[in-house]
Formats: sequence, structure tokens, C-alpha cells
Amino acid sequence: MKKVTTRAFAVLLLVALTLACTGVFIYRLAVDGGDWATFYANQSIYSEGVLNRGSVADRNGLVLATASDEGFHYADDADIRKACLHAVGDLGGNIGTSILSMYRADFVNYSFFTGTTAEAASMKLTLDADVCAAAYNAIAGKKGTVLVYNYRTGEIICMVSTPTWDPEYGIDFDASSEAYEGAFINRALSSTFTPGSVFKLVTLAAALENIPDIWQQTFYCDGDTIIGGQRVKCSGVHGTITVEQALAHSCNCAFGEIAAQLGSALISQYAEKYGLTSSHMLNGKIPTAAGSVPAGRGEIGDAAWEGIGQYEDLINPYAFLRFIGAIANGGVCVEPTILYGESAGSTQLMDPNTAQTLSEMMGYNVQYEYGAGTYPGLEMHAKTGTAETYGGTHAWFAGFITNANAPYAFVVMAERAGGGYYVASPIANATLQKAVQKAGG
Amino acid sequence: MELVTFIFGEYAPRIADISRYILPFVAVLIVARCIVSMLRERYDPETWAYLYLNGNVMVPLRHWECILGRARSVDGRVDDPAVERMHACLIRTPEGAWTVYNLGKGKTYVNGEQVLPGGAPIQDADVLTLGTVSARFVDLTEQERSSLLKYRHAPGRRVRPSVTLLLLTVFQLGLLLQHLAYDAGAGLGVIMAFAVLATVQWGYFIVLRASGQRGFEPEILALFLSTVGLSVAASKTPDDMLKQIILLLAAIGLYIFMCLWIRNLDRVKSVRLYAFIAAIGMLLVTLVLAPVDNGARSWLHFGSLSIQPSELVKVLYIYAGAATLDRLFVNRNLIFYIGFSAGCVGLLALMGDFGTALVFFVTFLVISFMRSGSFATVFLAVAGAVLGVLLVVTVKPHVVARFETWGHVWDDVDWRGYQQSRALSAAASGGFFGHGAGNGWFIGIIAAETDLVFAVLCEELGLITALCCIASLLALAGFVVKNAAAGRSSYFCIAAAGAVSMMLVQLCLNVFGAMDILPFTGVTFPFVSMGGTSLLACWMLLAFVKGSDTRANASFAVVRPERFTGGAGVEDEGEPEEDYYSPGDGYYGGSSDDGYYEDPKDSYYRGGGRA
Repeated sequence: MKKVTTRAFAVLLLVALTLACTGVFIYRLAVDGGDWATFYANQSIYSEGVLNRGSVADRNGLVLATASDEGFHYADDADIRKACLHAVGDLGGNIGTSILSMYRADFVNYSFFTGTTAEAASMKLTLDADVCAAAYNAIAGKKGTVLVYNYRTGEIICMVSTPTWDPEYGIDFDASSEAYEGAFINRALSSTFTPGSVFKLVTLAAALENIPDIWQQTFYCDGDTIIGGQRVKCSGVHGTITVEQALAHSCNCAFGEIAAQLGSALISQYAEKYGLTSSHMLNGKIPTAAGSVPAGRGEIGDAAWEGIGQYEDLINPYAFLRFIGAIANGGVCVEPTILYGESAGSTQLMDPNTAQTLSEMMGYNVQYEYGAGTYPGLEMHAKTGTAETYGGTHAWFAGFITNANAPYAFVVMAERAGGGYYVASPIANATLQKAVQKAGG
Repeated sequence: MELVTFIFGEYAPRIADISRYILPFVAVLIVARCIVSMLRERYDPETWAYLYLNGNVMVPLRHWECILGRARSVDGRVDDPAVERMHACLIRTPEGAWTVYNLGKGKTYVNGEQVLPGGAPIQDADVLTLGTVSARFVDLTEQERSSLLKYRHAPGRRVRPSVTLLLLTVFQLGLLLQHLAYDAGAGLGVIMAFAVLATVQWGYFIVLRASGQRGFEPEILALFLSTVGLSVAASKTPDDMLKQIILLLAAIGLYIFMCLWIRNLDRVKSVRLYAFIAAIGMLLVTLVLAPVDNGARSWLHFGSLSIQPSELVKVLYIYAGAATLDRLFVNRNLIFYIGFSAGCVGLLALMGDFGTALVFFVTFLVISFMRSGSFATVFLAVAGAVLGVLLVVTVKPHVVARFETWGHVWDDVDWRGYQQSRALSAAASGGFFGHGAGNGWFIGIIAAETDLVFAVLCEELGLITALCCIASLLALAGFVVKNAAAGRSSYFCIAAAGAVSMMLVQLCLNVFGAMDILPFTGVTFPFVSMGGTSLLACWMLLAFVKGSDTRANASFAVVRPERFTGGAGVEDEGEPEEDYYSPGDGYYGGSSDDGYYEDPKDSYYRGGGRA
């Protein structure tokens, strides 16, 4: 009998199997339950396939999207609807990185504990809908993106991507047409672009830390130059200039020379160090596209092109915003957040001295090149960029303001829309004027 | 709803809402009380006879089937080089007659006469000789057994079943209230169903308690699960509760019949052959006569009545598959059993009922392991089964399709993953406390009340109650393993282990199939899934669990020791219960676990060594 008794423990193997499977189930429920519960077949929160509960508002409580038994609606103002579309998303889930796609469980106030039984509550974002609308109006039909965030708190107050559409009326356009190219993509998070001259900030940072006599060197520009057998063309004829003037004039001859001194590999290494070649997670959940700054084949000419933001360089606007934020904040990047009240931590991205120097030189750009009067009321530090691509030039303008109540860093990119100074800089100005006004400073 | 409003007025919805947060805790209490009672109460072994070695070393015989020998794993250990590791086997009939069988190469004698292969009877005061070692066999007298019985503990003193049953009634009331409050379709039929269930369970309890029974944990767990099942039925078919409640009553009736039937082991053994024949016969008839439903030939239709014979075959399979110890030593029996099992599994595979075939197969593994103790046999069987499964999978396209969907239900949410994606969604939607009984949408999905019932539990009753249902069956399994140590006959141990294995495999395939952790095979959740034949089979299987419970006065499926020889015995239930709690009760409060062996001669048992 004792033998049979002992063998009865075989039953415990089945008990163990049951417990193991139960553990797997509870684990999956805890991790994926939000996705399961917000599946469109869940009739607790969907009426005929349309969400019937939940809402999301901007930082001031302005409703951006709301679901109830009366249906699903977006913001009352059409410009705000279009401006916030890529950040907030639409009911159909057309924008994969949007709040409505990534945070649908929070939108309907789902939790592992309560399931969908809890009362609906409103989600709050860090966005300021008015600033987004200002950016949307300023970009005026061009394709591109405007990103603004508070480099002290990490709050993203503006994230606009165009082309966009009015979600209240659904997709009533031809998505394959030229005018709506990439309409379902949030360019701020999911795209990469040739950076052009804004990348000179990276090259400059590398030079400051690796070329001891960079301040003593002078560079000669007569419109173009031959580096490593490759002809590098400049935007103007700058004569004999210092590194500070080279940045202000965005002189390709000078930066080609500096890049040649640094070498291709070192520039790539700095791009990697500043997070420009990796994918990031906004709020630990929303993935961004990874840029790439590949080292050339070892030829000096490739290094020159790489250092001025051409060659095969591709940069994601969000990653560049982190880089700018670190410059503005003494080398520490406060990680951006789009969920109100949620801090995402911070990262020591660069040496504080380097950040300080870059910051001063970006201020010098504005004082002596772009003109302080161009940005009335804004303590502007910035860098323009005009990236050569097939079919036109990307207009970039990236920087930050040091106004007391409005510590904002920004990246503006208008796709194949012209020059950085003439196209991107006014968009940034209009957006920041609104942001500063709303900040009360 | 009108009725609830009539009783509770404007507070009706509020009361239903509050009850959603209370019932899960009641469920936890019910299951926890049963578990504590089953696993924490003292298990005092029964003693049936003694062997006296060298005059005063006493070896107690604790089972009806005892192996004697030198090995540590035998029941009566005779540690002498002249004795084989497993030398002989003593078997007691329910009437109290003992027979000794010789095992292995050694020789065994009773009063000097060699025991032949057919065994030899042995009586009180006979001299049993194993090799060269002699021992005196002492059968217990009535007085001795009576005095031992006094010290055996009955369950239900620390954890009172009446309180647990009261909690179950509260649980039933709460569910009823929720159905009436949340489901406009719920009416008199639902009230009647819950009322009948509550009445029957109290009737059962009062009658058995009055006749001195004290153990109710297995029934209460089954009643808890059946209550949850009734709630599922009330969500699914609030207008057609009569059928469900009649089935439940029939199931409980069959359970009582089975318990009474297995009280007599001789009677059980005498019809085992018919069980073999009936099992194979029912499967054959089904295979020939059943039409194809959903790719399988599982159901027989008689007018409006549909039965699934494979469910009833489960009971027959356990009944016929369990065996007494004397049969376990004959290889022919094991081979016959393997052949029988292969026949059952093969017929089920031919019927296309892959899930049930799998349930049988795992149960076969457990039973054959318990019978043989040989991993070799088990591995052989596994190899055979893998080939069989390949055959089934190649032949049956709907089985292949289910395996392909496994782990990919979200890839194809509106076709192949249709049911499970919705099951997962509903399950997550319920949270810990659920939306309330009768307040779910998932019940409207095909097979929600059977194969996907776990999602209904999670959505309507919440994760806590759903996990309590799983815990109930795990508790039964733990109970069986614990009971095995004090089992009388290996038949009851094997049958009980087989029955709970069957329930656990079904549970796993049902719950984790629906939740996309295991392949979705479409079997029922024991006691909970709607479906008459399955419910009948589960309650009958529960009788085997009940039959393994040898605690004093715990189980009416087990005959009381004093009744065998017609002695007066000691009626435990007649004692005042205070005795057990009195501060001066040396036994209860004492430190010795073996308190009732006060005999100073008990040196063997006490010291574990030889005198």
C-alpha cells in the first residue's frame, strides 16, 4: 500500500501544471490585460464597435477626445483637432504611436484590478492645445513637424505632425495621394530626416572635446573647398573665420575641415553618445524611430559630408529634441513626457562645459546672424539647418529659449520646404510666441 | 428586477453593486475553509491487525493491503537478511478475512505450511513465517478496535461544515440578487433554481449530519462549483432553468448512489468486467451512431435529449481501471489495462474528440503509474500516444486548425481567433470583482457556457471567484493525495487519484485552452460548464474522491471500521464535543502525534528500531 500511496504524488504533478498555467495566465493578464480589454469586441466599453467611455484632455483640461453613449468626439475647434491628431490619435487607430493607440486602456480607465468596471475618468496630457494649433497654423500646409518641450520638467507642450486631417470627419481623402504622403505617421516620433546644418552642433561638440586648439584655429572659406578629393560647397563666401563665426554662418568649408580633423568614426560615436542613433521610449511605452549616422569608408571627404549633416545622416526629430534639451539644461536631458504629472527621469547626455559652450554659441548665432529682433520677447538660442535631399531641402530650426517662465526647447522641421532660416525659423517663432504667452512670461 | 425592486426598493441596484465586492471574499472563505479543514485536520491512521516479531516487536498493519518485506517502502517492515525486499502481501476482505500471498522468490509459511501462488488464509494467532523469520499474526478484537476508535479524530470540529454551508448559501443568495438586478430576463425560474439547490444542499447536510457524518468538504466544494455553474446557466438561459436544476439533482442523486455502491469493495470488484465492456461498448455505439457535430462524433440524440457517452465512460474508465493490490503484481492485468486504455483513447480519437482523448490519456498515465510504479511503462505509453496524436492530427483538419491558432489568437481575431480573443477581452474586462452575475456580454458568444466558461466567470464574477473555482479542484487533488496515506485499499487510492487527475486535466484544457495558454480542445470545466452528461459524470467521479476519505465518520462512502464484525463499536457522534476542547484533554493538547499507542510493547513503532 505504501508504494501506491507514494505514487499518488503523481497527482501533484498535475497540480503543479495547473498552478504554473494559472501563474502564466495571471502574468499575461497583468501585462496584456489592457490590450485585451480594449479590443473592439469588448461590448462593455464599445457600442457597435465604437468606444463608449473615456476621455483625454490637454494640460488645461480642454477635451481632445471623448467617448460616451452619444458617440466619439474630438476637440470642438477644428484647428486643434488637426494639430493634436498625431499625438492624440483617432478612434480607428490609424496612428500607431498615438495616445489612443498606445494608451487605450488608460483612456477607458482600465486597470488590472478593476478591469473596465471602474467609473470613466479623464486622461490628461502635457500638450497645450493652443500652442499645437499655433504650430499647425504656422506650418501652413507644409509637411513637417513641430516639437516643443519644457527642458526643466520634460513636459511636451507641442507635438504637431503634418499632413494631418480632421478626425471628426474620418478619412475622407486619398491617403495615397502626394498631398497626404505619410499622413498616418507622426513625423516627430516615427520618421528620420537628413539633418543638414543642425547636425553641426554634434560635430562642434565633438570638436570642443577632441580638438584642443579649436579656439585658436581659423578657417578660410571662398565659397567652396576640396576636402579629401571631394568638393564641398558652402552657402556663401565667408573669408577667414573662427569656429564661433563658422557656426553662426553655418560654414560648410569650416565644418568640413573640422569634420576631417575629427574623422568619420568619431563623429558617428558622438551621434551615438547623444542618443541620435537609438530608438527611445516616450513615457517608457511609445517607441521612436532610430536615426543613423554611419561612419564613412574611411575617406576624409565622407567625414566632411557626415560632419555637416549630409552624407547618409538621418535624424529623428524627437531624438534631436532630447539632444537640444541636454544643451539647454547643462548637459542633463530631462526625458520628455506626454502624460501629465508623470515624470520620465533624466539622463546625463553630455559634459556640462560642452553644453555651456554650445549654449553660448547658439545664443551668438541669434545675436549676430539671425537677429534678436526676429524673435521678439524670446531669449533665443538656436541653429538653422537646410538639408539637401532629392526633391528639395528640409528646413530645420532647433534650439531653446531661456525665458524665466518658459524654458522650452524645440525642433521644427519642414519637409522639402526651403531654407531653415526663412521657412523653419518663423514657424518656431510663432509657436514659441504662443507658448510664452500661455506660460504667462 | 421588479421583484428585487419590490423587496429592496430604490436601493436594489446599490445592494447588487455592493454584493459584487462582497461575494468574491465569501468565495475565498468557502474554499479556504474547505482547504483548511481537509488539509489541516489530523489524519489518524486506521489499524487493522498487528504482527508480533520475536514475541514483542509490534508491526501495525494500517491498510487492507499490506506488503511485508525488508525494503523501506513496504507497509510492514521485517528488517532481516533472510527476508526478501518485498516478500509477502497480506490482504483483508471487507468482511475481515485475511489472505496472505507470497511475492517474489522467497518462501512464506502459515503455521508451517507453505503458501502456494493462490494465497492462503490467515487468522488471529496464526504463525506467519517469512523465509526463516517467524511472526505472530494478531487480528484486532472488537474491544481493541473500539478502544482505538475512541482516539480517532473526526473532521469538522475546528472548521464547522455548517458555517461553510451557510457561507455558500450567502454566496448563492448574492448571485441570485445580482441576476435579478442586472439581467432583465432573469425571473422566477432563476429564483426557483437557486432555491432548490439551497434546499437540497441543506437537506443533504442535515440528513447525513444526523446520521453521524462529519466530513463535507468535497461536497461543499462541488456544490460551490455547481453554484457557479448554475449562475452561468442563469446568464445563458434564464428562461430554461428547470432542465439545469433537474440535471443537478440527478447528478447529486447519482453521486449518493455511487458513494453507497463503492462502500462494498467486493461488490465493486464483482462488476468491474461489466464496466470494461460497457465502456468500450458505449464508445463503439457512439462512433457508429453519432452524427458529426463540429468535426466530432460525440453526441447521441434522442429526440430533444442529447447525451455525450464519452462523459459517462470517464466514470466507467476509473471504475474499471483502479485495482486492488493483489492484481497489481500480475503483469497480465496491467497489459490488459493498457490495452483497454488504448482502446478507449483510440475510439475517442476516431470519434474526433481530441480533447476527451487527451483527458483519458493523461488519466491513463496517472493510473498506470500508480499501478506499476514503472516509468518505463509510462514512457512506452507516451511514445505510443505521440504517434497516435500525429495520426489524429494528420487525419482531422479541425484539430490541426486549433493547434495552428494556439498562441496566435490575436493574429486573426475575426475568424480563427474569434472565440478566444473575445474570451480574453471579456476576462480582462471583469477585473478582480467582475461586472456582476448576469451582467456580461460574453455569455452570448458560441460555447461561452461550456468550452469558454472561464471567461464568463472572470467577466461576471471576477478574477477572485474564478481563481477560487480553480482552487476548489486543486484542493480536491491535494485531499486525495493526503488521503492516500491512510487508504484502506489501493483500489480507492487509485480510483480517487484517477478521478481528480481527470478533473484537473479537464480544468487545464478548459481554462488554459480558452485563455490561449494551451491548445483549445473544447472540454468542459468540471461541475461549472453547462452540459448535462458532463455534470453527471463529475458528480459520479466525486464519489471516488469521497471513497478515499478514511477519517473517522467523515465519509458515507466508507464503511465504519466497527461495523465489519458486527461489534457495538463506539459511536463517535454521541460524545459531547466539549471533550475535545477541554483543557485537561491530554491527547488533544498533547505533544505526541502517535498518542494512542500507549501500549508499552509498542517499541517498534515508537522507536523505529528493534527491541
